[in-house]
Amino acid sequence: MAQFDDQMDRLPRGRHGLSPEFVARNQRERLIAALILTLDEVGYQKTTVSMIGQRAAVSKSDFYKHFESKDDCFLAAYDYAIEELRSAVLDACAAAEAEEWPVRVRAGIGAMLGLLAAEPPLASILLAEGLRAGRGIYDRYQAAVEGFVPLLRRGAPDPPGGPEVPAATDEAVVGGIASLLSRRTIAGEAASLAALTPDVLEFALTPHLGTEAARRIISAG
Amino acid sequence: MTTARPQLPPEFIAAHKRRRMIDAMAELCAEQGYEATKIADVVRRAHVARKTLYDNFSGKEELFLAAFDSAVAEADAVVAEACEPIAAAEWEERTEAGLRALLEYAAAHPAQARLCLVEAPAASASSSARYDVAVDTYIERLRVAAPSGVGRPATLVEALVGGTLWIVQRHVRRGGAEDAVDLLPELLEFVISPYRSVGKR
Repeated sequence: MAQFDDQMDRLPRGRHGLSPEFVARNQRERLIAALILTLDEVGYQKTTVSMIGQRAAVSKSDFYKHFESKDDCFLAAYDYAIEELRSAVLDACAAAEAEEWPVRVRAGIGAMLGLLAAEPPLASILLAEGLRAGRGIYDRYQAAVEGFVPLLRRGAPDPPGGPEVPAATDEAVVGGIASLLSRRTIAGEAASLAALTPDVLEFALTPHLGTEAARRIISAG
Repeated sequence: MTTARPQLPPEFIAAHKRRRMIDAMAELCAEQGYEATKIADVVRRAHVARKTLYDNFSGKEELFLAAFDSAVAEADAVVAEACEPIAAAEWEERTEAGLRALLEYAAAHPAQARLCLVEAPAASASSSARYDVAVDTYIERLRVAAPSGVGRPATLVEALVGGTLWIVQRHVRRGGAEDAVDLLPELLEFVISPYRSVGKR
C-alpha cells in the first residue's frame, strides 16, 4: 500500500505556486492511485467517481477534466498498473543481463511476485477486481500477459537432447502463471504471492531445462 | 387415423423454448459478443415472445449464465464419460481422453465454446466468477488424475489447467473452435511432461 498512500498526500491544499500543468498531472496520478486503493477495498461495482475524487482530494468537476467516466479512469489505472509491473520485471532482467537465462528468469519472476506481494492493491486491479470489469480491461489483461512471453523465451535453451520447445509451451506457461496468481489474489492471498516464487520458477524453467536442473537452480538461489 | 394436431405436453414445449433461448444467446454472443447482444435479438432468433423470455430469465445476464451453465454441464458430461472408464493408474491415457473429449466438444459446439471461454471471463462480474468455479472443477479433475507423492508443487495442477485453458481460449478467440482438436498433442505434452522424470508409470 505504501507506494499509493504516498501519492495521496503529495499536494497540500491551498496556495502552492505550482504550474497548472503540474497540478493537472499530479491530480491525474492521484486519481489513478485513489482508484486502485478504492477498488481494492470495495470492489469494482461499488467504486464510484465521488469515492475516487474524495480520496484523491480532487473535485468531481476536476475528475471529469481528466477522465470521461469511471471506466475511462479505470482503463488508465489498469494501464498504469501494467506499466508498473512490466517495468519492475524489465529492470530486474536488465540488471541480470550478463547472467545466464535461468538467472534472468529468476530475477524477473522474483521481481514480479515481490512487487505484487508488496502492493496487494496492484495485484488486485491487475489480477482480481480488474478482471471483473468487462471486456475492455480483460483484453488489456490478455495482451499484457502475452507481452511476457518474448521476455521468457529470449535466450532460452532447448532441453538437452530434446526437441525445440514450441512457442505454445511458453505461452501456456505464462498463461498458467497468470491464472495461478489471479486465483490466489482472488482468494485474498496477494500479500503472500512471493512465497510462490520457487513453484512459479520451477514451472517456467522445467520445459527448457528439465525438472532436475530447474530444481538445482532454484535451490542455489 | 386422426386429423388433429398431435398435442405435445406443455412441459416439453416449455423446455424446448428454454433451450431455444439458451442456444440463441450462445449463437448471438459468438456472432457479435455479449455486450452487443440485446434481448430483442434473442427473442427474434429463438422465435419466442418477449414475455416468455422474462418468464424464464430475469434478463440478459441470467440468460447468459444459464447458457454458460448448460454448456459447461454438457462438456463436463462428455469429459467424464471419456476418462472415467480408464483406470486411475493410467493417468496419461485418462488425461488424453479427457482433454480430447473437451476439445472435441468445443469443435462440435463452437458457439458454446466461445461463450464459455471468450465471453464468460469478461462479460460480467458474475460470469467471470462462475468461469473461475468451472476452472476449479478441472483443477480437481487433474489433481485426482495426476501422480501424487512425486514431489511436485501443489500449485502445479492449477498452473497446468490455467495454461491449458489459456491456450484453448486464445485459439477460440482468434480463429474459432472448429479445429480445436489440433491443439491436443502440444497441450497433452504440456500437461504430462512436468511429471515425466519422476512419475514413470
